[in-house]
Amino acid sequence: MKLLNITNRYYIIIALVLLLISSAFLAYRVVYVIDNEVSEHMLFEKLEIEKQLALQKGLQDIHFIIGDRLEVEPVDKFTSFRVAIKDTVIFDLYEKNNVPYRILSYQQLIRGKAYNIKIARRLTENNQLVNGIFTTLLLVAIDIIICFYFLNRWFSSRVWNPFYRALNILKNFDLQKGGIAHFQKSKVEEFNTLNAELTKLTDKVARDYRNLREFTENMSHETQTPLAIIRSKLELLLQKANDEEQVKQILSTLDSVNRLSKMNKGLILLTRIDNDQYAGQQMLPLGKILRDHLEDLDLFILSHELKVHTEIDDTVHISMNPHLAGILFTNLLSNAIKYNIQNGVLSIVLNKHGITIANSGGPLVIPGQEVFERFRKGDSPDSIGLGLAIVKKIIVHCGFSIHYEYINHLHSFEIKFENAEIPHEELEG
Amino acid sequence: MKILIIEDEKQLLDSMVTFLKESGMTCDTAMSLAGAIEKIDASDYDCIVLDIGLPDGSGLKIINEMQTKENQTSIVIVSARNSLDDRLTGLNFGADDYVTKPFYMPELVARIKSVVRRRSPQESNEIVFNELRVVPDEMLMYVSDKMISLTKKEHELMLYLISNQNKVLTKESIAEHLWGDHADIADSFDFIYSHIKNLRKKITDNGGKDYLKSIYGVGYKFVAE
Repeated sequence: MKLLNITNRYYIIIALVLLLISSAFLAYRVVYVIDNEVSEHMLFEKLEIEKQLALQKGLQDIHFIIGDRLEVEPVDKFTSFRVAIKDTVIFDLYEKNNVPYRILSYQQLIRGKAYNIKIARRLTENNQLVNGIFTTLLLVAIDIIICFYFLNRWFSSRVWNPFYRALNILKNFDLQKGGIAHFQKSKVEEFNTLNAELTKLTDKVARDYRNLREFTENMSHETQTPLAIIRSKLELLLQKANDEEQVKQILSTLDSVNRLSKMNKGLILLTRIDNDQYAGQQMLPLGKILRDHLEDLDLFILSHELKVHTEIDDTVHISMNPHLAGILFTNLLSNAIKYNIQNGVLSIVLNKHGITIANSGGPLVIPGQEVFERFRKGDSPDSIGLGLAIVKKIIVHCGFSIHYEYINHLHSFEIKFENAEIPHEELEG
Repeated sequence: MKILIIEDEKQLLDSMVTFLKESGMTCDTAMSLAGAIEKIDASDYDCIVLDIGLPDGSGLKIINEMQTKENQTSIVIVSARNSLDDRLTGLNFGADDYVTKPFYMPELVARIKSVVRRRSPQESNEIVFNELRVVPDEMLMYVSDKMISLTKKEHELMLYLISNQNKVLTKESIAEHLWGDHADIADSFDFIYSHIKNLRKKITDNGGKDYLKSIYGVGYKFVAE
């Protein structure tokens, strides 16, 4: 939910509750005031009637219906001075409906004779009054809320604009592309503070990233020469060694040097791709390249007795760096053969949408989404653990996407050529 | 065969000199650009082994220098940078081959011999050893003048072995020579074994001597004695 909608939601809920309470209170007050007013007025009427009746001569059983009803009824005996006011309903002949009346009754002695006098006044129907108040207030409420909503949106988008701009800059922040984030100055102090802190943070991240990359690069490069020296000395020793135990030691040392050297080469490659040092692109006939690689690996395919299934569209030409394409296919195909089973399947499908390379094999010991991570090599101790990390790096570098799946005992790597939004893809993956 | 090794790492230089000398080459050395130019001016070499990153400048200058002299010297670049750009620049500049540190010594020897062979006149192109004759540009070998065809890998292996006579060649170095980046694939050592077996059979069946010796657990050796 957006920030704007959250504040709006709270405002609207609060406004509704307040309006409900105040309209209830208002209705109550209005009814109360009108009610009081009516009773008060009736008491004044009573005084007037008393005066007028006292002047009447032949006072019979009389009804007056002018405005308020007035009933004068003789009684045998004067009983009290009590004035009673009560509400009741009377059937109205014209409206054909029960309507509310207030009746004030009292007894009066007129020339020694007692009379019961009733004044009945028609009341406004409270229901209608209350309904009227509620509808009016509801309309007002809707008005207010709508105005409020749009005004708030307008204000918020103005006030929060620097925030959304900063958010956008962060979204497009990419270490691979130099890692520069430039935040604009705003009139709001808090946003300026935020931007200043973000600038500090992104600068630091970019600096650290550069340092790390430089370190990896220097480290890997500078290790190559000592490694070359160690290997050359060991080879010289090997030529001279007669003792079997010595040979064994030399070989195992050589083996470690080899591993180190391979790891180094892998890391250098990764750094070089990061540093964008493989910029030169050509339109490559991928079908031909794949076939050439397969031919190179023919022997290994034969020895594993693999069933090779190819569906190669030779018209597919993709623009990428030839060296990287070579490394990509070498790594993927070697993997598909190395981790295959005897009599397994090696399937290669190339069309204009992408490449799928699949091989038979048991399930991985590591979670599928981790196959592309550096040094995640599962249960194969001989491997360096960089092959698929390099594959992923090349894929991302070329703007493709890769997806790993294990279904029906097949490990399948699916490359899609479309220029997917790489940063997003990476975030989700 | 006279070689000039230009390398600023003393230790590595020593190893290379020792190994190349053991392989029957004559070696001069230089540890800087200036020293190298001095040596080049003083005498002719069949091959120059060149480290690009020298303390007093880029080794690529040596290649320029050599081209102005128009002689038959081959150049093999040795570099710590496994970079395509360096490789391409080096080769475009006129270097004949390129190896990346750390390299296997027998690999360097094989590369040197191969580039020198390529520069030499056609008739001496074949590698002759007793009754064996290996044709570098075709997948052919002669055993006592009897023509034997080889597979691509057998041919590469034969060249590698015959270039490094009397040297212990580890299975790793052979695998890398034959398959390069694919060398990691698990059973490559088995293939080397079967290739060696086939080669040995092809030679001995045609009356040649068995020069290919297996060294248990280590690798193979072309025994010339």
